[in-house]
Amino acid sequence: MPRTDPTDNGGLFVGRRPGTAPVKYRALPARGTHRRQQLDGGMAIAILVLMVFVCLLFFGPIPVAWLWIASRVQYAFNTISLAILIAFVGMLLTLMVGLRVLRRLDLTWILVRRAAGFDQRQGIMTRVFAYSAALAAILFFGWLILIAGPGSTLAPGQ
Amino acid sequence: MGFLDYYKQFEGMPEEEVNARLRDQAAERKRKALSVVEPIDLSATTWPEYPHPAVVNAITYTARRGLHRYLDRSAGELRSELAHRHGLPEERAVVGDGAAQLLSSAAYALMDDALDELVTPWPSYGLYPVMAHRARAHAVPVQGYGVDAVLSAVNEHTRVVALCSPNDPTGELVQAGELRRLLEALPERVVVLLDEALADFADAQPVDASLALLDDFPRLLCFRSFSKAWGLAGLRVGYALGGPGSETLLEQLAPELGVNELAQAGALEALRSTGHLVERRVERVRGERARLLLELRSRDRIVATPSQANFVWLEAAGLDGAELVRRLDRVGVRVAGGGALGDPNHIRVAIHDGAATDRFLRALDGALA
Repeated sequence: MPRTDPTDNGGLFVGRRPGTAPVKYRALPARGTHRRQQLDGGMAIAILVLMVFVCLLFFGPIPVAWLWIASRVQYAFNTISLAILIAFVGMLLTLMVGLRVLRRLDLTWILVRRAAGFDQRQGIMTRVFAYSAALAAILFFGWLILIAGPGSTLAPGQ
Repeated sequence: MGFLDYYKQFEGMPEEEVNARLRDQAAERKRKALSVVEPIDLSATTWPEYPHPAVVNAITYTARRGLHRYLDRSAGELRSELAHRHGLPEERAVVGDGAAQLLSSAAYALMDDALDELVTPWPSYGLYPVMAHRARAHAVPVQGYGVDAVLSAVNEHTRVVALCSPNDPTGELVQAGELRRLLEALPERVVVLLDEALADFADAQPVDASLALLDDFPRLLCFRSFSKAWGLAGLRVGYALGGPGSETLLEQLAPELGVNELAQAGALEALRSTGHLVERRVERVRGERARLLLELRSRDRIVATPSQANFVWLEAAGLDGAELVRRLDRVGVRVAGGGALGDPNHIRVAIHDGAATDRFLRALDGALA
């Protein structure tokens, strides 16, 4: 006879699934007033927007900025290799710093969300990064197809 | 609370810290559990261990076979086994609800006049005065233990002599020779009820030494029990053995509708398959008893009566029994105070095993310090 009881798992899951444990505080936090919790909720949204902004910097402004710096280096020293090297290393270092800033914002967001009264166990950085990348890709291809790339073919006079 | 401190309080503990805290808590629980020393109960004369699984199985089998009818009111199989064990005809053995029930029934059957007397050494088993009272007779406790003490109290009203051998609580034994002397000296009308519930533990004479007198003295009845060395106190099974001509009296002692079917099954299985276990227990008690008595004799303040039972009867100079019980109880060693057993200056200490003996001696030294 087939077993239909979902809890009858033969003793395979004898405890909680990994990563689903409730948050354990060193001491029970003293929550603020309802007004303060509402403010914290707004602050969490603001931090989230800031995280999206930092992520979007990775996909446009930062590379552009380093390419501009590289062009200035090439102009000053008349060497393409040094310019490429500086652009590559600079972008990498800035990316690392940006990720650290993002992580710090993520941790802050978790605390503010908890202060706002949510049982926030995980950060949102991964999802913010993924959605920002998708958004950047859409913006890039929009610019590439509609404005920059095909523009010369569709409108040969430009 | 500062602005940043307010948010810092919402920081959860990292998993490593949670696990470390849980490990600490588990270690603390374990340490506490290990530090708890369970009290040891040396106050009862019953055997401290569980019955053998074979006995439990036999009882379970009988229960499943059906308890809706009387299977064997006369406990024929058990009587037969007991008679064979002691080399007596089956008619001279009777099974009852413990030796205590058989002793009570005997007192009731033998004493029918308000002037009748039951003589017993004292301190002894507390049931004897009670059973005399129930038979509307008188109990005559005689201070001290021995044949001469008993004989000194016998008069024309004496109908019964109740003799516990080995004696509870003193552990003293009436040797077969002394018993013969008593039986020879007693008038014809006096019946001796020899309570040998603790006889298995004695090593001063063969266990069945007194049974050899049954043929010569029909006025002697021996009572045995499965509650002590056999470790089946909860079953309430005992038996009585008598001499030639005692069959009619023995029949009167049996419970009207027989012994509990489960008790019969347990006792029968115990006789058939756990004899070797009882022998080992008895040897262990005898060895520990000798060691304990030796240790007690080396303590100046302790006076211990030589014992043939599974306990020792002792007193401490300058300390009454109740106070000694209290002091031992404070360190987790429970013993029986002598107040309820006939002598408030004494205590009765049951013998279990070497560890129990050592623990008792340590507690005793602490109590006397």
